[in-house]
Amino acid sequence: MTFFDTDMTWFLNIYMVVILAYAILIMSSYLILAYLSTKELRSYLKKNSFVDYEVLLTSEFAPKLSLIAPAYNEGFTIEENVKSLLSLNYNNYQVIVVNDGSKDNSMEILTKTYDLVLTELDISTKVETKKIKGIYTSRNAAFKKLIVVDKENGGKADALNVGLNIAQNPYVVCIDVDCILDKDSLLKLAKPFLESHDKRIIATGGVVRIANQCVIKNGRLVEVNVPDRLLPRIQVLEYLRAFLLGRMAWGRLDGLLLISGAFGAFDKEIALLAGGYSTKTVGEDMELVIRMRRYMIENKLPYSVSYIPDPLCWTEAPEDFKIFKKQRSRWMRGTIETLSFHKKMFLNPKYKLLGMLSLPYWTLFEFLAPAIEFIGLVITIVFIIFGLLNWYFFFLLVFFVYSFAVFFSVIALYSEERTYHKYPKRTDFFKLLLAAFIEPFYFHPLGVYAALVGYKEKIMGTHSWGEMTRKGFNKKE
Amino acid sequence: MIKLWEFYKSGDWVEPFLIDSIILFIAASCILYLLIIASRSKKIKRERLRIEYDKLIEKLMFSVVFQDTPFSEIKEDKGYSVLSKKAFFREVLAESITNLHKNYEGVYARKLEQFYKESGLINDSFKKLKSLKWEVKCKGITELAEFNVAEAFEKIITASKDRNKTLKLTAINACIKLEGTRSIVHLTEHPYPIDNWTQLNIIGAFKKHDIGDIKGVEFLLESENTTVVALGLKLIKELKLTQKVPYVVQLVNKAPNTFIKCEAQSVLQTLTV
Repeated sequence: MTFFDTDMTWFLNIYMVVILAYAILIMSSYLILAYLSTKELRSYLKKNSFVDYEVLLTSEFAPKLSLIAPAYNEGFTIEENVKSLLSLNYNNYQVIVVNDGSKDNSMEILTKTYDLVLTELDISTKVETKKIKGIYTSRNAAFKKLIVVDKENGGKADALNVGLNIAQNPYVVCIDVDCILDKDSLLKLAKPFLESHDKRIIATGGVVRIANQCVIKNGRLVEVNVPDRLLPRIQVLEYLRAFLLGRMAWGRLDGLLLISGAFGAFDKEIALLAGGYSTKTVGEDMELVIRMRRYMIENKLPYSVSYIPDPLCWTEAPEDFKIFKKQRSRWMRGTIETLSFHKKMFLNPKYKLLGMLSLPYWTLFEFLAPAIEFIGLVITIVFIIFGLLNWYFFFLLVFFVYSFAVFFSVIALYSEERTYHKYPKRTDFFKLLLAAFIEPFYFHPLGVYAALVGYKEKIMGTHSWGEMTRKGFNKKE
Repeated sequence: MIKLWEFYKSGDWVEPFLIDSIILFIAASCILYLLIIASRSKKIKRERLRIEYDKLIEKLMFSVVFQDTPFSEIKEDKGYSVLSKKAFFREVLAESITNLHKNYEGVYARKLEQFYKESGLINDSFKKLKSLKWEVKCKGITELAEFNVAEAFEKIITASKDRNKTLKLTAINACIKLEGTRSIVHLTEHPYPIDNWTQLNIIGAFKKHDIGDIKGVEFLLESENTTVVALGLKLIKELKLTQKVPYVVQLVNKAPNTFIKCEAQSVLQTLTV
């Protein structure tokens, strides 16, 4: 019994060191990232107030863009969303909608609305894809920018690769067709490609925000609201934290690994040289960015990935747990797959910041965090069963983590308030503040559970995306 | 190390560490909350004041532009005389008349320029040029250029050589508005590459301000800096300067690299077809 006690005390001490070190590491890294983000955000906003985007609108030297919008069973919103894509403030661009073998009436809606006819187009197949059934353009000159590709179902990555093969312009903007873009989003996304002279800008990412309960008119966001339902409301807060306090800092460090699949621009040549989107992962957005970066480093080509903090893209967040679970488990599978594809880079000095910091950070705080939390929960239960738990310290520790979580959310709210101020209504602000208090008890465990489901699905070999049912946005007639 | 481990093992630090951290997080959250409230209140107050000021400024500008009211009379206006001493009012006034000036030409624009000088806003703009903050300098430069204050050219051209990219670009744009090509000729000796965004802005400024005098653009083609040469070619192409074709032909014959040669040939093709 003495031996057991000694052994247990030793184990308890080690366990405490590990948990505390992990907690302090994660908290301090969040705070460092938040500090860097805030600095970068302020600098960006100052500079941006003197930028005249009109020069891009009127110049023939503006980067030529091809928008690629894969669509799968998006019939409910496709008409309005394509209309919104066609009316963006930019001149040199085309829109490629790739219908990825939808089972609904997406193709009929597109054909009827945009007066589409089958057309012949020279395609150079640089990336292998599923069979294309037909390529359509509009008879109506008003929609001359639009190309619709009807293809066999092959997943989002395959649809994006079709777009890469078809795109006629040197830069591609990959977007989710259900997203609502800011009218000037392309102007802002294109600018970084012109700004660097010594380094090639291979990709630019923009901020994605939650549009649930916002008012949309003619494919444009006209009124920003905070959702009443708790699940999407907390996701508003989560996106604020991720985009305003996280990615901005990684952008400043030039260690950004993820450009959201919902809205990002890429140098087509480099994307194709790197092999296009991988169909072997459901995290194709992150995987492509890492592969493009890897290609540049391995070929000793100076490069950079740029990041725009302006809220340029608005998307619909899952409103019920079933869809939320599918989305988050898919994100976890994507993370595992991407990290495993590029494990060679992990702590490899050859890959500089990417290998030494970005990838270890993702591994430790994105991939392993749910597992560590789960193990912690199991150990706590074991302690309770054996009567080893010191309830006073347990509650102190819980409150320590809880107060940090709330504090970090308040930093995000403060950052939003001082920068974009997109939620000016007092009720909306208090709704978000309340969400910050509720999140650690309600949303966070759901997220951890969904991530654990992601682990399980990965072990079981699940490869599907899972259906994402959209409700559609509120429309103002 | 052993001492540290012993201290750790004693567990004496856990409680104060956790309690202090909790207090710190709660206090910081409360401070941030108060800052958010203060920021929102400030925004609301400034918005209310702006609406109030806009009404008065609108009335004043109407009388300046359309009723030929002299500044001496405006100075006597009770509202104006009190508010003109307030920094925020002057800020709103400067913004309003700058925006108004963008929309007017000819005699109306002259009247606004006159008001800008007589009201002392011009001095505010010159003061901004002396600021240590680049963003304040940019604001001053934008105002002075908008009101065509040619006396500011020398000061602005100095700013156009600054290391800060935004200030440099704002100053170049302003100089182009004030003095046309004279303001970019110094770029021929520019030692660093000029990125495409800067080039596009320079071209945009020429187009926007409809600069007729393009004397000296050809000097850019003689620069040893290839990005300056590329800028010269783009300017010639976009502004359709057919009179500069002989210089482009010369460049094709002695191009420093194939990129410039191709660009020059493309310009020739566009201008001679």
